[in-house]
Amino acid sequence: MGSLVELKERQAPVDVHETTDLTLFVRTSSENLTGWDRQKIVDAMVREADVPSDVANRISLEVEDIIVKAGIKFVTAPLIRELVDAKLIECGLEEARKKHTRLGVPLYDVDQMILHPNKENANVPHCPEATNLTLAEGIKKEYALLKVFTADVGDAHMRGDIHLHDLGFIDRPYCSGQSLEYIKRFGLSLPNSLSIAKPARQPEVLLAHMVKFAAALQSHFAGAIGWDAVNLFFAPYLEGRSDREVKQLAQMLIYEFSQQAVARGGQAIFTDINLYWEVPKHFENVPAIGPGGEFTGKTYGEYEKDAQRFVWALFDVYKEGDGTGRPFFFPKPLVHITEKLFRTEGWQDFLHHICDVASEKGTTYFVFDRGETAKISECCRLSFKLNASDIEDAKSPWKMRFSALQNVTVNLPRLGYRSKGNDTALFNNLRTMMELAVKAHLQKKYFIESLLALGDTGPLALLTMSTDGSPYLRMHRASYLIGMVGLNELVKIHTGEGLQESKQAIKFGLKVISEMSLLCKKYSEMYNMHFVLEQTPAESTAYRFAKLDLRDYRDHAQNFVRGDVATGHIYYTNSTCLPVGSNENPIERVRTEGLFHPLIEAGSITHIWLGESKPAKESLSNFVIKVFRETQNDQIAFSPEFTNCLACGRTVRGLQPTCPHCGSDKVDGITRITGYFTKISSWNKGKIGELRERNRNKGFFAK
Amino acid sequence: MRTVKIFIKAGCSRCPQAKQAGAALKDEGFSVTEFDVGTTDGLAEGAYYSVQATPTVIIEDQNETIIGDFRGVVPSVETLRDMLTGK
Repeated sequence: MGSLVELKERQAPVDVHETTDLTLFVRTSSENLTGWDRQKIVDAMVREADVPSDVANRISLEVEDIIVKAGIKFVTAPLIRELVDAKLIECGLEEARKKHTRLGVPLYDVDQMILHPNKENANVPHCPEATNLTLAEGIKKEYALLKVFTADVGDAHMRGDIHLHDLGFIDRPYCSGQSLEYIKRFGLSLPNSLSIAKPARQPEVLLAHMVKFAAALQSHFAGAIGWDAVNLFFAPYLEGRSDREVKQLAQMLIYEFSQQAVARGGQAIFTDINLYWEVPKHFENVPAIGPGGEFTGKTYGEYEKDAQRFVWALFDVYKEGDGTGRPFFFPKPLVHITEKLFRTEGWQDFLHHICDVASEKGTTYFVFDRGETAKISECCRLSFKLNASDIEDAKSPWKMRFSALQNVTVNLPRLGYRSKGNDTALFNNLRTMMELAVKAHLQKKYFIESLLALGDTGPLALLTMSTDGSPYLRMHRASYLIGMVGLNELVKIHTGEGLQESKQAIKFGLKVISEMSLLCKKYSEMYNMHFVLEQTPAESTAYRFAKLDLRDYRDHAQNFVRGDVATGHIYYTNSTCLPVGSNENPIERVRTEGLFHPLIEAGSITHIWLGESKPAKESLSNFVIKVFRETQNDQIAFSPEFTNCLACGRTVRGLQPTCPHCGSDKVDGITRITGYFTKISSWNKGKIGELRERNRNKGFFAK
Repeated sequence: MRTVKIFIKAGCSRCPQAKQAGAALKDEGFSVTEFDVGTTDGLAEGAYYSVQATPTVIIEDQNETIIGDFRGVVPSVETLRDMLTGK
């Protein structure tokens, strides 16, 4: 690919193939200067865009003529390519123009990226590595929209009808759920790695393998890396270790994952660790793997005590927070609340312990597995529910590897603007969007399969390694996520009432999500793929959709987007949630939002914003039990707010304009943005707008 | 007036029995509504009442407050009649 072309006085003889006597030198991407060669323009058109050679030759002459006549002193290769593309359009060769397009970034944009932070993802810091990530993402996004997806899908994304998530990571699956058992059993043997490690013999080495494998996985997945039953799978390595050693390991694990902001794009690895107090039923009788990858001769059911020591120690560390008392952003601890938990000795103390951490730091996530349900959770709310074949796989737990290939989100409020209160039109429009989402998934699947087909010489070699006899990425078990943003606003646009305003509004909202859920089932059968609904985290999508609707449907949208239209701090309510500012008491919010959760198979969450209050652990514990027993809610998290002083380094409760210790106004707020904690200074405008409107539930929980 | 809501789905072995009970009550003049959770409306209504198994039978008073529910089981017509008449 050429880069820059500079018009210069001839300083060296040019190639004999030269077709013109122009005194040009071409600065190429290979960092050398070559002479002007019109034939290269012809070759590019023929090679890249299948343009007939006679047409290509004519176009190249016309372009050369323009350059000569213009007397341009400094020409860039993109300019030449654009001139060629303009000629292709003149010739009616639109498809050829598309193929011949140059992907790149304007100089001004690069300047902005280098100088200013990108706030699309609050988990990306501002540093040179992050700039590289943003630049690469920008080009891959363009590539995806031109090459991977058809024009109707790409245009729907560009318009804001749907959102194709992580387009900048088009050549990777979306999120994944992992099992430590894989590296415990097989060690660390990755394609292209410089050395191969045998299975770990010490817990510290196992942790090192886990961290390195997580970094490798981050390079092959767009989003979160979730780990199943981490405390249980570490347990065989902890036999005979003192409580102090176990605490040290817990500290190492949390710091290793929370300080990984040196990997891809300077991003911390979005890591979730699934934790249990009890030994999950499906692992009880499974032979345990211990040091050296050997079976220990015991079952995991026999490691309950060591698993409990480890999970307790992890929450001791979470309670302390980092070196300045701030909550750890990663790894996110997802504690499964199951029927068996309440039958396991010590459950009350454990529940108090994790609720203490939830109140103090907000770190704990409570995942509810009612009845026979078992799942692996990750990302901001994504979960992989285990079916009968997965439970069978649990006997060889290294096989338990799950992935969602892509996430496509539907802009629900826009359907409301378009349907003008007509039910038939609304559901027809919804079906059209679902069809587009499915089409987008088929296209991404086709693309990923084409990369996987390249095997161990392809870009996804790590995902094709078959150490245990089957490819690491189990495509036949992949999920295809369809999300939604702004159900509350859609219901308000269509019925005149928001979700929190009436029973009829809730029922209408349920009807919309039921239709989406049934369509997922229909398409799953039709294509033999697993389409499932997920509550999209929508960290930037809720802002993007609101912004685009305000542009394209302003008369309507200005009455329905949330936040401050004048300042642009606008957003739509996330997924199926009630508005963040509505003032139901928390249990009512959890119950009402939970009505939607059984319809959303791939994960949902209710956030309870705490502001600066610090409820008693007993109060939160009772709340969690009530949620488990009396609602259908899938997952909850309590979110306190903090202020970190950049001058004196101390962290205090609540969002404060100045540091109460040293008086400095150099402070940064910390709270949960969507499914994880982060610094508020890194948030996009939509999320800032949402933060201002959150109901902090002051006074509900006993202190 | 008290009403009965019956949630069924295709292929559910006990659902015909629940439908039969509903039909008998309907014949007696009671308000009975059937919802197929395989349809959009049925699934939405089922979600509202947290229906996790079929058949589910729910009895509501005039304020749409639940006064009785049977989830995954089929009560007798007599039991339902008594609940509907407040006995």
